[in-house]
Amino acid sequence: MTSLELTINGERRVVHAAPGDTLLEVLRREGYVGVKKGCGSGDCGACTVLLDGRAVNACLVLAAKAEKRTILTIEGLADGGALHPIQEAFLDEGAVQCGYCTPGMVLSAYDLLSRNSAPSEGEIREAISGNLCRCTGYVKQVRAIHAAAERMRSGRNE
Amino acid sequence: MGRSADGQVTRRRSGGPVGLSLGCGLGSPGPLVSARGDGNNRRVEREGDVEDVGLQHIQSIARPTTADEAWRLRTADPESTRFLGGGIDLVLYTPETVTTLIDVSRLGRAGVASGRNGFAIGAGTTLSAILEAPEIASYAGGFLADALRHVASPLQRNVATIGGAVARAHPWSDVVLALLVLDANVEIFDGAARSVAVADFYASRSQNVAPLVTGIRLPLRTPSTRGAFEKFGRTGFDVGLLNCACVAEVAKGICRGVRVAAGGTPSLARRLPEVEEVLEGKRLSSEAIANAATLAARGVDARDDRRASESYRRTLTEVGVRRCLERLADGGAEGTR
Repeated sequence: MTSLELTINGERRVVHAAPGDTLLEVLRREGYVGVKKGCGSGDCGACTVLLDGRAVNACLVLAAKAEKRTILTIEGLADGGALHPIQEAFLDEGAVQCGYCTPGMVLSAYDLLSRNSAPSEGEIREAISGNLCRCTGYVKQVRAIHAAAERMRSGRNE
Repeated sequence: MGRSADGQVTRRRSGGPVGLSLGCGLGSPGPLVSARGDGNNRRVEREGDVEDVGLQHIQSIARPTTADEAWRLRTADPESTRFLGGGIDLVLYTPETVTTLIDVSRLGRAGVASGRNGFAIGAGTTLSAILEAPEIASYAGGFLADALRHVASPLQRNVATIGGAVARAHPWSDVVLALLVLDANVEIFDGAARSVAVADFYASRSQNVAPLVTGIRLPLRTPSTRGAFEKFGRTGFDVGLLNCACVAEVAKGICRGVRVAAGGTPSLARRLPEVEEVLEGKRLSSEAIANAATLAARGVDARDDRRASESYRRTLTEVGVRRCLERLADGGAEGTR
């Protein structure tokens, strides 16, 4: 086991990991269980986290590659008790059913909206194309991301 | 679906082909019974055989800072080492003999740089960073950015590096196909730094240890360059059943410097010289396009595998080349994604 320095949700952490551990394994071991384990092979996107601001499959990233880098998991998105506008929009639009894909969807949307404040439907669909939902389809998520973009642009969080 | 950064993982072992293709097994010759990640001890069962293909054998990660140092580490023990770029393919499958990964991300070569002769792209540059680079958005009429959008998902393009995609060279590689029709060069290090054309790089890669890919060079293109990319897959970002691409300078309706290639045939992308010749200096009329597409279907190195038949691949080639040429006639880029 080696020590890795990671900044997770704004907090500097030193974690222990084997050289072959994935970021998914390390994060879940450290208690960030909002990072879901689905396929383990990059197909489903349930393990999506932001690595230096970009959405990645945590199951496909070696933990060692994240050393001294910044990670945002779904646990770090809300500001205290106040949900992020993307989370609010997912609730309001009913873009959640079993919830397993939701953290990944929300974080993929976060990556998109941090670079593109007014995405088209095509751009939204492209951004969440690596996140599979097996309950609802994608209409409500797309609607939620549109709504979140509007709220973030207007600075409102209804 | 099977989509690692630029496709999936296949493996040939002595004693016959045993393909491993984690994800949905699309790239593999045998049916995948189950692929289950359990901690870092990934276990794959295929037709009764179970083998561990995870990263549990990895004992160390070396972090060289020069290409020379990386090459020395790799060649000192080829069986037990692998170069580590974005790492996606290695996470999906690392041979159990491998105990040391050589992280080449600290060679200081990430990013897109423009120069008098074109663009230099560091091997460690992610596919997302390339397709989002402002200078690439307009390069070859937007062809490269459009082609890279066909690779896997944004989640994987944010990790996958161009060096890794070129070095790994999955037969269905969208990246290799795009670089081939752009007349790109691969910068390599195998004891000495060299720059070789993409096709030559693969043709000469028979040595024991494949060279370290340190970068890609894209030649300058005129503003009249157009390109189009077409990929056929079962889903939006599946690995392709077949992919094809065309690039040409189109001035006053006349094509010059035509490049047409197809990949995932199921072999790695190759140019179709007879199609290029018939289009060179010609106007992209509907007859010329139909004729070129027919020639492409005839000339493509199509074969059967478990994912598609030879005849289906020939049909896909005809349709794909026709669509690409029609888009070239209309102005290029802006494909199906």
